[in-house]
Amino acid sequence: MRNLLRIRELPIAVVLVAFFSIAALGNHQLFSFSGLHDLLFGSSIICLLVSAETLIIVMKHIDLSIGSTIGFASYIIGKNASNGHGLLYCLLLGIIFGLAVGAVNGLLVAYFKLPSLVVTLGTLYLVRGLFNQVAGGDFINSDKVPHVLSFMASHTFAKIPYLFIVAFVLALIVGFYMRNFRSGRDLYAIGSNLPAAYLAGIKVEKRTFWAFTAAGGIAGLGGALLIARFGQAQANSGLGIELGVVAACVVGGVAIAGGIGTVFGAIIGALLLQTIVLALGALGVSQFWQGVVNGALLIAAISLDKVLSSRSQRTQIMRVSE
Amino acid sequence: MEKVLEIRGAAKRFGGVQALVDANLTLYPREIHALLGENGAGKSTLLKTLAGVHKLDAGSITLFGKEFIANGTRGSLEQGIAVIYQEPNLFPDLTLAENVFIGRQLTHGKTVAWKEMAEQSAALFKRLGVPLDPSRRARGLSIADQQIVEIAKALSLSAKVIVMDEPTAALSANETERLFGVARSLREEGAALVFVSHRLDEVMALCDRVTIMRDGATVATAPIAEVDTDKIVKWMVGRELSDLFPKMKANIGETILKVENISREGQFEDISFEVKAGEIVGIAGLVGSGRSEVIRAIFGIDNYEKGSVTFLGKKMKKNRPNQAMQDGIALVPEDRRQQGLFMPVSITRNTSITLLKGVSKFGLLRKASETGITAEWSKKMQLKFNSLEDSVDRLSGGNQQKVVLAKWLSTKPKLLIIDEPTRGIDVGTKSEVHRFLSQEATKGLGILMISSELPEVLGMSDRVLVMREGRLVAHFNADQANPENVIAAASGASK
Repeated sequence: MRNLLRIRELPIAVVLVAFFSIAALGNHQLFSFSGLHDLLFGSSIICLLVSAETLIIVMKHIDLSIGSTIGFASYIIGKNASNGHGLLYCLLLGIIFGLAVGAVNGLLVAYFKLPSLVVTLGTLYLVRGLFNQVAGGDFINSDKVPHVLSFMASHTFAKIPYLFIVAFVLALIVGFYMRNFRSGRDLYAIGSNLPAAYLAGIKVEKRTFWAFTAAGGIAGLGGALLIARFGQAQANSGLGIELGVVAACVVGGVAIAGGIGTVFGAIIGALLLQTIVLALGALGVSQFWQGVVNGALLIAAISLDKVLSSRSQRTQIMRVSE
Repeated sequence: MEKVLEIRGAAKRFGGVQALVDANLTLYPREIHALLGENGAGKSTLLKTLAGVHKLDAGSITLFGKEFIANGTRGSLEQGIAVIYQEPNLFPDLTLAENVFIGRQLTHGKTVAWKEMAEQSAALFKRLGVPLDPSRRARGLSIADQQIVEIAKALSLSAKVIVMDEPTAALSANETERLFGVARSLREEGAALVFVSHRLDEVMALCDRVTIMRDGATVATAPIAEVDTDKIVKWMVGRELSDLFPKMKANIGETILKVENISREGQFEDISFEVKAGEIVGIAGLVGSGRSEVIRAIFGIDNYEKGSVTFLGKKMKKNRPNQAMQDGIALVPEDRRQQGLFMPVSITRNTSITLLKGVSKFGLLRKASETGITAEWSKKMQLKFNSLEDSVDRLSGGNQQKVVLAKWLSTKPKLLIIDEPTRGIDVGTKSEVHRFLSQEATKGLGILMISSELPEVLGMSDRVLVMREGRLVAHFNADQANPENVIAAASGASK
């Protein structure tokens, strides 16, 4: 019981269930398999990307480039499929592309010590710009999407959309890695106290580099889900999605100050944000108000974080002598 | 008896500062060894060498008859030396168990063995007699408990040498007693402990032998039973006040600052003193004795609960640093990189920031006026620079300090409060800063100076106040103050 109360994700999960129930009472449509399906299907892309972003945020970094990466990857997959290449080949290309973008981020952040916010803002524009150049007005439409992907987008397993299952399985893998592998624990240590991480002999640069690379790879894989989900790919696919991903992570308890949070929590955060979108939509609230509610929730989440992590002032005035 | 550790002829130089000249230290099993010395005597450098942070220029370190290789903190730990700092460096978001085993977590195959880690940490905490919960996170843990976690980490690596750098500075009396209990039981188990402290009564109560350092060299090693605090203080000081301190005779004028019975919960209590025009008042004391907190309260950065501060006959409002500046008080903080300067900004901008009003017209800055004032001050202070547009982080520590001084003195204050005026500055620039302060005093500036360097306090001050544990414990005129009585007052040695 005591351990249960310590789980950081518990309050947010309670909020999610409460909110979903209240919304469902107001709108019976929501509280049905089709309502649940809409929720899981609608949030599947963000649920996949939070696995990437959580790796980065626990290290006290941020990756804003994943929206551009997932968009370009979806186009690469769609284009090659429509040129007659097999799905596996296309998927591999998408992942390799994502790994490459992630490796560039990782190199600049880990070894050149550049701030991740600026680096990934740069690659966000850079990748999107290249994407626009390459794609131009090209539009990959639904009959070009590989059959397996369109099947996954339109079918469920035990009433759960396949796209969400893919995201969830990946989250299980990443979550297990972060919790139970030494190198995964290092990510938390790096975000919690960087100087101490160096003192403890943690290979900070190597871990940072590989985490960014992996995040890019996940975004590359996500390209397949993106094209499946929307049945199309074009120059603004995935535009702006990174901010929704960061918001989901923060709402789900992944501290922007580093060192705390799980992929599982971030998924709950993504579901909560999506529930709000659906509920407000179902209640006939305009899109603009949905933005206001999401924004307020984000600020509430970060304020709670601040309160929880405020450190004692007293220890700061004492200083190691000489 | 077999030696655990032997340091012979250790020497280390940082730029212009010779931190270690000829340091020697020998440790035997089952002993608690005190390492003493004034600030700047080289203790910290020696500890950091053992921690694997610094490599010696000359000299040797042998550990159990084998050469010790400086190779980072991790390397030192693996060779059996654990250094525990006054404020441990834990991971606040990780559990205590994981903090103990960080970087080398126990595993089953590839995955972390949480249960074993928790059990082993719990066993270590129990062995230390402090039953901490291994599954709690380190955030919010008291400093005393954080030290216990560090000691547990040292034990889990079966460290044979455990070095504690002023571990008791931030501890309460009970916590100190508990730490001593732990230290004694580690000694029983055969470890060698090095205990750095400024509190001589603690040293006498706990330690078996003592080594004293001065100016980077070991001056004496003796069993505690054969020495007393008088003898230790003599060894620690044992030097002439050099003529590095060109104190000029100033005419002491009216009282400008009057501090009456101010107190701030948990930081200082019942502090009263005065500063007169043209007078330099030094405040000596150990780090953590509350000196910086007192001046922060006087300047209005922090609140105080009781008492009053009067400046130029006017009672000062609390918490109004802006008002204090306008009234003519300038504060030069201790940490110039963090609090005194805008590091990436030009010398000019840094100097003129305190008088932007004076150099602006219609709300816009006037470059010529900014530059003029800066040029004037940089000449006065013999600042060494390439261009006034260079950012201050390219200057040496001493020259940065001159920029801070210029910045504040250009506001023409009546009282200058300065915290550690020459910390980390080379000897030449030091005496320039001293000459400059002394010169300003002759012009009627009152100076309140905190310094942990005894020669500086004694050489520069007209009066010396000594603080210990948040209280003003002694007050000497320049002719009465000597190293022995100031150190004795600061460290609470019975006289």
